[in-house]
Amino acid sequence: MRAYILRRLAQSVLVVWAVTTIMFFMFRVMPADPTAILLERGLTDEARQALLERWGLTGSLWDQYIAYLGNLLQGDFGASFFYRKPVWEVLFPLIVNTLWIAVPGLLLGAAIGAAIGTAVGWARRGGKLERSGIFLATVIRGVPNFVIGIALLTVFSSTLGWFPGFGMGDPGETTGFARYLTLDFLHHLTLPLVAVIIYFLPENLLLMRSGVVENRTEDYIELVRAKGVPQRRVAWHAARNSMLPLITWLFPALAETIAGIVVIEIVFSWPGVGRELVLAVTRQDYPLAQAAFFLLAVMIVLANLAADLVYGKLDPRVVYK
Amino acid sequence: MSLAELNARLAAKPAAELRVDGLSVTYNTARGPFHAVEDVGFTVPAGTNLGLVGESGCGKSTVVKALMGLLPEGTGLTGRALLDGDDILGLTDDALRDVRWNRIALITQSAMNSLDPVYSIGDQIVEAIRAHEPVGRATAWARAEEMFALVGLPAARLTEFPHMFSGGMRQRAVIAMALALNAGMLLADEPTTALDPIMQSQIMARIRGIHAHMRRSMVLVTHDIAVVAETCETTVVMYAGKVVESGPTGQVLGRPLHPYTMGLQNAFPRLPVRGAPRQPLISIPGVVPNLASPPPGCRFAGRCPFAADLCRTTPPPVAAAGPQQAACHFTDRAEEFRAAAALPETWRKMRAAA
Repeated sequence: MRAYILRRLAQSVLVVWAVTTIMFFMFRVMPADPTAILLERGLTDEARQALLERWGLTGSLWDQYIAYLGNLLQGDFGASFFYRKPVWEVLFPLIVNTLWIAVPGLLLGAAIGAAIGTAVGWARRGGKLERSGIFLATVIRGVPNFVIGIALLTVFSSTLGWFPGFGMGDPGETTGFARYLTLDFLHHLTLPLVAVIIYFLPENLLLMRSGVVENRTEDYIELVRAKGVPQRRVAWHAARNSMLPLITWLFPALAETIAGIVVIEIVFSWPGVGRELVLAVTRQDYPLAQAAFFLLAVMIVLANLAADLVYGKLDPRVVYK
Repeated sequence: MSLAELNARLAAKPAAELRVDGLSVTYNTARGPFHAVEDVGFTVPAGTNLGLVGESGCGKSTVVKALMGLLPEGTGLTGRALLDGDDILGLTDDALRDVRWNRIALITQSAMNSLDPVYSIGDQIVEAIRAHEPVGRATAWARAEEMFALVGLPAARLTEFPHMFSGGMRQRAVIAMALALNAGMLLADEPTTALDPIMQSQIMARIRGIHAHMRRSMVLVTHDIAVVAETCETTVVMYAGKVVESGPTGQVLGRPLHPYTMGLQNAFPRLPVRGAPRQPLISIPGVVPNLASPPPGCRFAGRCPFAADLCRTTPPPVAAAGPQQAACHFTDRAEEFRAAAALPETWRKMRAAA
């Protein structure tokens, strides 16, 4: 088990290094000049040259790469060209903002989806519940998530006026972590969170349903029924055995979410890391974009490792070699 | 409730009596109704074993599933199954809650797949106990340990998962589970089919030993008539969804009235006995008829070496000779048939004709 984890960690380092390298060179070959966005502010040629030197963009590509890797190993992501601040200072609050909608959204989406999926899978084959469940899940999955976002905004913000339409609200006097505990924040959080839940729900529902449908005809379900336990308990056995594929899906999804809910962040003007990533790329803000991609890669790799380990806990038949 | 109280309570359960009457099961398939079981009846007196024999596809397992209420939804079901006087046939899952495992328990056919892979075996036995008795987990676990000892498994292995057990151990675990609530009636659906011959006889010896010890009633489904001869007081022979012969085991197997029972006996290998003539192994030619469109007369007529025209047109009446009954037009010629059925030529001629 320990040898397994160590080997997987070593592999992970390799993967992250590869991603970092590819990212670095991809941004450098893009035909644009990061100082261009500052031109309108009346940058002189000397000042521009000075900036390039300060940002470490003057040496050969190879020298730049070595310097970048060296800094990265010391935990230094550099400074954002655009914000003129260390990248970490820019990214950290944005990551927190994103996690606020990503983590609860994903977990609730998975939990609600799995619960409904179990009910749909356990329902009579060809019955009303099964047919309407599959129909709704398929339709929702087919709708682009910005449409869901706009629909939520139209109904609950513009028309009914129940929830605010954009941003995270005014922190006012409260600063730091306390702002996340205000009612105002939760009020702003509701609609984007619901959008993320709806985004993840159908996938989980369908995965769970097909698992339950497959498992309900297994011999062991027949024996559980024969034992005379309540029906809910029988359905639970089928659900428990259908959860395994959901787990392998869940962890990588958590990491991919950060990038995947960009659209929802944009629709709700939610100041998250996904939205910033897109902006950083268009602004040629290499350090910021590279750092964001680096973090994404680390998260995805770790999430996959975590999924494999949790899988072993859920399915006693899994052996680590 | 303590373990001693639970044990005393469960030990006080009497053996159950089962009367099955006119049981018919019709599967509704895409190609029309399929009469898997037709007009089956038998009685298991309290504290006795009944052997239900016949070749694959004759409806034995369907009878067991009908009794446990495990048939797929929408299956046609008629007749009665009186367990100590209560009709348990065709009840809903909720209505069966108290009957299943409490009064009638099941030893499944394929123990390989009949345990949930993600729960420990101990947890699965505990689940059965706690579904019916108001006991804590610790007491239920202690009871499970006793059941494991009864089937010859070390109690420490209760914490293990099904994939860590061999086939024989899994079968024993399933038996331990079936005994956990000391139900008055046990249904054993081919409990040894998936095992190798040595394990088969070990498991059967175990079942017989437990049975003698606990005095339960049992329906033993098998295609092995040697097992029935050793274990069961009563024998019911099924063919193509119908009972062809039934009665006390000694009479049914010793002096069979139905040609199918005679053929079935020849189809099992026997160890050669010194001095006695070597028994040839004779198989019954042909296959079970398609039950979606069963033949109009006797269902065995197509494979019977003694069939007459009458057999192919008219279903045979049930003829009784004391407690022994057979559904054959010519039970009065059984003596003559038995002599002929012992000869391989009789059946070989059939095969040539077919």
